[in-house]
Amino acid sequence: MFESFLNSFPLLFSGGSFLSVLSAICIGLLIGLFVGALPGLTTLMAMAIVLPISFFMEPLIGIPFLIGVYKGGIFGGSIPAILVGLPGTGASVATTFDGPPLTRLGKGRKALETALYSSVIGDLSSDFVTILLIGPIALVALLIGPPELAAILFLSILIISSTSNGSVGKNMIMLAVGLLLALIGQDPIGALSRFTFDIFELRAGIPLLPMLIGLFAIPEILLNIENKSKNFIKSKLNLNKEEKLTWNEFKKLRKTIFRSTVIGTSIGMIPGVGQVVAAFVGYAAAKNASKHPERFGKGELEGIAAPEAANNAVNGPTLVPLLTLGIPGDNITAILLGAFVAHGLRPGPQLMNEQGSLIFAIMLCMIIANVLFLIIGYFTIPIFSKVVSIKKSYLLPLTIVFAFAGSFVFRHNPADLYFLVIFGVFGYILRKLSFDVTPLVMAFILAPPLEYAFGQTMSLGNENVLMYLLYEKPIATFILCVTPLITWKLWQRSKKLRQVAAETTEDIRNNN
Amino acid sequence: MNNLIKFLIISLLGFLSVISQSQAQYPEKPITMVIPLGPGGSHDLNARVFTSIVPQYLGNAIIVKLVPGASGQTGTAMVAQAKPDGYTLLFTHNYIDQLQQHVKKLPYNPLKDFKAVARMNYSAACMIVRSDSKHKTLKSLFDEAKSSKGKMKLGHSGMWGATMVPMAQILSWAKVQVNLTPFKGGGPSMQGLLSGDVEAILQFPSGINAQGDKVRTLACGAKEKSLGNPPVLSDLGFPGQIGYMDRIILAPAGTPDDRIKILQSALSKLKDDKTFKKFMKRLGENTAYMNGPEYEKVRADKSEKYKDLVKIMTKG
Repeated sequence: MFESFLNSFPLLFSGGSFLSVLSAICIGLLIGLFVGALPGLTTLMAMAIVLPISFFMEPLIGIPFLIGVYKGGIFGGSIPAILVGLPGTGASVATTFDGPPLTRLGKGRKALETALYSSVIGDLSSDFVTILLIGPIALVALLIGPPELAAILFLSILIISSTSNGSVGKNMIMLAVGLLLALIGQDPIGALSRFTFDIFELRAGIPLLPMLIGLFAIPEILLNIENKSKNFIKSKLNLNKEEKLTWNEFKKLRKTIFRSTVIGTSIGMIPGVGQVVAAFVGYAAAKNASKHPERFGKGELEGIAAPEAANNAVNGPTLVPLLTLGIPGDNITAILLGAFVAHGLRPGPQLMNEQGSLIFAIMLCMIIANVLFLIIGYFTIPIFSKVVSIKKSYLLPLTIVFAFAGSFVFRHNPADLYFLVIFGVFGYILRKLSFDVTPLVMAFILAPPLEYAFGQTMSLGNENVLMYLLYEKPIATFILCVTPLITWKLWQRSKKLRQVAAETTEDIRNNN
Repeated sequence: MNNLIKFLIISLLGFLSVISQSQAQYPEKPITMVIPLGPGGSHDLNARVFTSIVPQYLGNAIIVKLVPGASGQTGTAMVAQAKPDGYTLLFTHNYIDQLQQHVKKLPYNPLKDFKAVARMNYSAACMIVRSDSKHKTLKSLFDEAKSSKGKMKLGHSGMWGATMVPMAQILSWAKVQVNLTPFKGGGPSMQGLLSGDVEAILQFPSGINAQGDKVRTLACGAKEKSLGNPPVLSDLGFPGQIGYMDRIILAPAGTPDDRIKILQSALSKLKDDKTFKKFMKRLGENTAYMNGPEYEKVRADKSEKYKDLVKIMTKG
């Protein structure tokens, strides 16, 4: 394997093709960046549309081109999340906690730069780890079956909801509501309709994107309108005058970025968990480790760095099952698989043996893509920042337009607009009653895969699940055993943190 | 750099072919083709290949729109409600089109609301085990399944899907009871096989080829030269075409016949196109094109057969 790694260098750098590789990655990055930045258009759609273009290129140009679209798209999704609080995907939801507050404080540019640097560092380190540990990571993928996945997802839901804001009771209510909403539609195992009340639009379940935009962006807009009179003087933001991220500020983020990178890379090794969980767990961990957890959600740069580094660190290891076992772990890798196949390359153990150097060359391209991305991102951030430098009286209606357009473009289904409005109103009410919607969204996103894995485990257990777990699945049993301990510890800690937070707000009030 | 120029020229040509539609004949504008399945699957890949080549025969582009959800019903319902003017088509498979109507109430009637434009190709599934498995034949696998009284674990790729239905057909014909566990698609079911969670699965040849010597093929629905000609199910005594997934293009009923003929004449030319054949060979797919009227007979026939199958399966 080491030999094929060494051979990948001449394959990539010799001949005149290296320049074409670089330009293909750059074009890909730009396409991804702009598509990702438009709410409602997902990285996945962008990749599916440009896939046939890659058919007509050399494999070492076409596949890096798609990787460029992928990497650009993920960062692009963070731009509206930071500037106007519109999450384009589940992975950028955690970024909407601290992004818009920072923008309101006039630190939008700093937030975007933090996101860029954390994404690139997280991604780059995970790519290096992936190249070094490709063999072991492939083994991990085979150790994770349905029982292990179910245990891990269950633990993730508990970690995230026990570190959310608000009271434990309210969080548990939100968790239950999220689980209930996730049950609507077809049940994942037997494909029977549940809670659909014979409404066909509900048969496919509640669509995620309109729900996210409704819950996060609409309340934000409504609250902004309410505060109009209060903030009217400060309503014009001018990001051109805004300061860049200083070296000292960046140095303070080092620990957070490192922690999130480790979290993201480990989560990426487990097929079927993915970026959403990584982003939330990264955020929760940063908040837990911070000396000032009360600042999170009010405009803390660490709150941007943590989810962004974590969700990008997932990228490297998720490619491993595809490259070594021929199994795509998610929709994005499934499209990459298509690109490989159209070039007559069928990823899997066979290809790894025969053309290992090509595989390593493609992984080197991922590293190159990160470096290029740092440069492209640095120069495009000022352009994007300008978008919100317009008057607030224009920005708010514009955000509403984007929220509706984004929800519609997603599936071209008018029913999605109803979902947007319903969840918008619902989210506004919840905000007024000081509920945190994070547990709801987490439960909604993680419940379907959890239910699937749970159903599979029950089926595989042959009617005696306890024996099956104890004798055949020690890893799952271990995770299930430590789950109560971890949750208890986090809960205790977050109780203390909440106390601290309450005291500081008290102090601020007294000082005023 | 050469490649980049080539790429630019090709995309430019593609773009020009879209905008230079001065002729008043159908299709005057790009056609939308809905796939009721998710991105990256075999339907998506097949469609990406033929839609990138068909414009030169059709005079206009076919744009793929993925509308997954509710086992394919969301996208299918969308096309059923579309204007029957030939500008909205559906690219689906026989299980969504012909089987689901017997399982649940649908907001459309497949046979009445759609007519077949063409079958683009088909794939036949194969039964595979890990190469370290002691089973070398289908019979040996089923013998052990019988003696273990339903405890043997087999996997499939999702309820009423393209490997679940043939699996049920095979098992019910061979009178074998097993523990059938669903996986979320063909990839995860392969992972379940490799990690040892299940003993055997059905998989399509393109997925089996990539695994090299890690898996062993016990039997296939059709002759598969690329897998070293394993036994064919019908030769083992299994009745009919088991495990065939037909990839079909449907149009809403009421679409003018002359427009469907234009589509058919363009699509049928693909099977002699060199680039098309090259890409399909790489995908590991055949180019067994079948015209609409011919496929209508298959459609009616299979719909009838699935009715009985569903009856047997939901009873047990």
